[in-house]
Amino acid sequence: MTQESPTGKTKIPTYCYQCVAGPDLLNVRVEDGIATEIQPNFGAADCTPAGGKVCVKAFGLIQKVYNPHRILTPMKRTNPKKGREEDPKFVPISWDEALDAIAEKVNKIQAEGKIDAAGYPRVAASFGGGGTSTYYMGTFPAFLSTLTPIDMGFGSGQGVKCYHSEHLYGELWHRAFIVAPDTPKCEYIISFGMNIEASGGVCGVRRHADARDRGVKRIQVEPHLSQTGAASSEWVPIKPKTDPAFMYALIHVLLHEQRDRLDKVFLRDRTGSPYLVAPNGYYLRDPETKKPLVYDLKTKQAVPFDTANIEPALEGQFVLSGIELGADDDRWEHQDIKVTTAFEKLIEHMKPFTPLWAARVCDVDNKIIRRIALEYLDHAKVGETIEVDGRTMPLRPVAVTLGKTVNNGWGGYHCCWARTMLAVLVGALEVPGGTIGTTVRINRPASDRNDSVKLSEDGFLAYPMNPTDKENWLATPDVRNANRTLVPLVGNSAWSQALGPTHLAWMQQDKGPDHWPQATKPDLWFVYRTNPAVSFWDTNQITKTIATFPFTVCFAYTRDETNHMADILLPDRTDLEGLQLIRIGGTKFIEQFWDHQGFALRQPVTEPQGDTRDFTWISTELAKRCNMLEQYNKALNRGAAGVALKTDKYDFSLDVTQEHDVETIWDANCKAASAEITGGKEQQGLDYYKEKGYRLTDFPRIKWYLTAKMEDEGVRYELPYQETLKRVGVQLGRRLHEKGISWWDEQLEEYEALPDMMDFQALWEGALERNFGVDISDYPFWLVTSRSMQYAWGGNVSIQMIREVSKNIGTHGGLVMNTGRAHKMGLKDGDRVEITSPLSATRGILVTREGIRPDTLMLMGQFDHWATPFAKDFNVPSMNALVPMLLDLTDSSGSGADLARVKIKKIGEAK
Amino acid sequence: MTRYVMVADINRCVGCQTCTAACKHTNATAPGVQWRKVLDFEVGTYPNVRRAFIPVGCNHCLDAPCADVCPTLATYKRPDGIVSINYDLCIGCAYCIQACPYQARDRVDVPNKAYGKEFGQMKHEQKVPHSERRAVAQKCTFCSDRIDYGTANGLTPGIDPDATPACANACIANALIFGDIDNPNSNVSELLRTHKHFQMHEELETGSGFYYLWERK
Repeated sequence: MTQESPTGKTKIPTYCYQCVAGPDLLNVRVEDGIATEIQPNFGAADCTPAGGKVCVKAFGLIQKVYNPHRILTPMKRTNPKKGREEDPKFVPISWDEALDAIAEKVNKIQAEGKIDAAGYPRVAASFGGGGTSTYYMGTFPAFLSTLTPIDMGFGSGQGVKCYHSEHLYGELWHRAFIVAPDTPKCEYIISFGMNIEASGGVCGVRRHADARDRGVKRIQVEPHLSQTGAASSEWVPIKPKTDPAFMYALIHVLLHEQRDRLDKVFLRDRTGSPYLVAPNGYYLRDPETKKPLVYDLKTKQAVPFDTANIEPALEGQFVLSGIELGADDDRWEHQDIKVTTAFEKLIEHMKPFTPLWAARVCDVDNKIIRRIALEYLDHAKVGETIEVDGRTMPLRPVAVTLGKTVNNGWGGYHCCWARTMLAVLVGALEVPGGTIGTTVRINRPASDRNDSVKLSEDGFLAYPMNPTDKENWLATPDVRNANRTLVPLVGNSAWSQALGPTHLAWMQQDKGPDHWPQATKPDLWFVYRTNPAVSFWDTNQITKTIATFPFTVCFAYTRDETNHMADILLPDRTDLEGLQLIRIGGTKFIEQFWDHQGFALRQPVTEPQGDTRDFTWISTELAKRCNMLEQYNKALNRGAAGVALKTDKYDFSLDVTQEHDVETIWDANCKAASAEITGGKEQQGLDYYKEKGYRLTDFPRIKWYLTAKMEDEGVRYELPYQETLKRVGVQLGRRLHEKGISWWDEQLEEYEALPDMMDFQALWEGALERNFGVDISDYPFWLVTSRSMQYAWGGNVSIQMIREVSKNIGTHGGLVMNTGRAHKMGLKDGDRVEITSPLSATRGILVTREGIRPDTLMLMGQFDHWATPFAKDFNVPSMNALVPMLLDLTDSSGSGADLARVKIKKIGEAK
Repeated sequence: MTRYVMVADINRCVGCQTCTAACKHTNATAPGVQWRKVLDFEVGTYPNVRRAFIPVGCNHCLDAPCADVCPTLATYKRPDGIVSINYDLCIGCAYCIQACPYQARDRVDVPNKAYGKEFGQMKHEQKVPHSERRAVAQKCTFCSDRIDYGTANGLTPGIDPDATPACANACIANALIFGDIDNPNSNVSELLRTHKHFQMHEELETGSGFYYLWERK
């Protein structure tokens, strides 16, 4: 007997990219045109690392389509007063009226000049979800490209809610915007607050479950026992923001107790360890070639680093001659001076940081720290090799990973440096089993990090640092967060604005610092898939700031706290209603490591609801009404929708003078995509992708690691010694001082060749006391946050099903506090409490747990909604209202950490 | 003989609730009703504390307490071990809901409205109303319609997706595994041979069909 499968007759393939750990392929079951069920795409099980599955967030997509709270027609504000307490009095309008109003504003800006009197772009745009929103906005990037320059620096959490230091330093050192263990081969992972089981998506969860099954040992070091801690071999409850001390002690043990067991071949050949450092802290260089020198043990003399057949000394001091090139035109000529190898400098630098010292800082037993260092070294298997795609490579199955708050703000540099050094000391960087990067966003090309490997004059990975020399430094910021002016590391890619000090853009709206232009408001602000009124810090102030923006256009799914201040609401089609092609596979964010690469289609699986429109239709209409159609089409032909439509191997370019419908545009992109991955041999169109869902080709495993390319090109990692950063920092300091600016001086101190340890907890406490005039002892708790797998990046807070299932995780309920500490304070689970920081106060329910330090409190996710339907009734607080934006707590990368000091008091009994 | 059981590897589970959500989709359960869900447990006191995630649901017991108390014999055991409910016979007395030691049963009297009465039913809720389950006992069926379809069409439950419960299909950690424990060569038999395991409320001698793995032998 054969009957229809109960899993359904009609299944439409599409993808979910609600979080940066995606995209993931899926099927939607459709009955009589109505989407009823999300299912794995088992047809793709063999070619996707997650077996064709999707995580819990994807299952919210059906309610997302049919949610009765959706905005289903364009709206305009009729109350000119803006503010949290003001009813916007939105009224429905036609698409014509909405688009014409926007076009009128754009055309006025184009006519009057795109830059305002302060030098800032008059158009701004903010997008959320760590870049995922791009894969839902159809051809909007092509439209935006016709309006440039655009200020994209009004962040909604970028810099303070991401792995910020890792993004910048990771890219600098080893082309790693995101860092991951080579989990399938790794045997020992030290995870400092990296909540990979909540943030790693389907691939991450699957890879780590497989690793646990085969016996990987993961040590989770964090103040609060997260999901990842739960699934780890051991939880080490460390004091908040003391992670650098722990890592420094690990390095101390390796260097001062186990030096003979380190990977000296790797240190000598792949790093700057043998480079000689002269008295002013810069490399000793050859006077003729200006190349850094190393000491050759064979010939007993200093030679340029790239001299053939040499054996550079790793350790030691030598009396030698040469030149030293410092910042700007600083130059010293040395005769017979004492120089030291960079590695020797490191040994000396790390001497004080014993496990006993770190134990006091971190409140962790020194025996635990030493044991972890030794276990790490044992598992590193220095000397072992493995074959990958026919090439013999080192096998070093150990990795160190860093979580969000560890990576952000002061200490982020120290943690990233120490993490990378721990890999470097045992040769575990970019090799099988070790610490590897996933993707690049600052270096180019973004589609292949291997291809971004370029040799610098000094023998390291070349890096697109923003200039700090007198002639080329961008003295006047071109966007409101001043990313290129203040943060040389952020580069100048399409992502750089979002990686700048995004809170600076918000802070300056209140008052700019000395000798700095008072930031203006954007005349036109586009907002999509982001809600900074909830998701940034000092959200009360941000909300007030947003209310002062004169013309805000929000692409709106439901009403929310940011679009409460909008002038126009535009309802685009949601995930399961719109059409878009996306690049998938290769190595891509978090733990997305594929053996394939190619493209997948997001397509309508059901009739669109109401008068919503496809984002590509909206973009084309805007381009037309703004008289930008030709430029828009040209941008599409260049690849603004993800694929170049014309290369020397194929040509599917669109007629630039004509308006094209949505399907025509994506049909051309589909054909170009297939042609791109087949070298022009195939050209499947939209119909193929609609039926099959994706088109893939192989991605060689060896490209997961940079090692092969690094060896072939003779490139070194600039580690342990940061000569480039030191020089850049000195130059940036001179430029700022020449303008009379001294408010960035503390940040400048971070440009150190070898990062000096600081008391990071005291730094926080001091900043709060100075800025708020409080006695920090009145705020006895550290407040931290933790990633929610059900919600993170998803923009799904108004989905009932997500709320329902997320409540099975106990820590979603409110303020998490150590049970014993609560009892000592006369508090119990379920009590209502007020949480007060030096900035503000909020309220919530107390959740008592054993898995949290007694000196720490935790608030999960980012809730505290007051306008978003459904979510506004959660009654769950967020730390975002409690965390101030302070220059004092901003590090040199422009980032700050999700960390607050608070006190609590009971305001009601448990029900 | 055949007896279908569920195996949950708690060394793999991370509490993501993907199984919970997949079950809700496939079975169109009411808001607040979860035939499959994952509990979030702590054991010990700080700092010696462990946290674990435990998938739960109907244990499809051999000696099912729910069946024992059913006055109409609506709850019955199938030859393949799945405990089922004949909705036509069920009078909704809820004795079984009280008797189940696994808290796996619910009764829902009103149509599904995830956003409440004020907003009515969404289109997909209208499309799969499952009115036969109104005002009677309901619980996990091990997606028995898939099992029946699979066995009728030469598929292997627990291996072929069309013959496997939605929760096991969806589990992103591969922590939920479904299969025939009476077949010594099945996926679940192999896992139970190679792993230390336990069952919930073993002391009640229900003959549970739900096994928890916690480490390899």
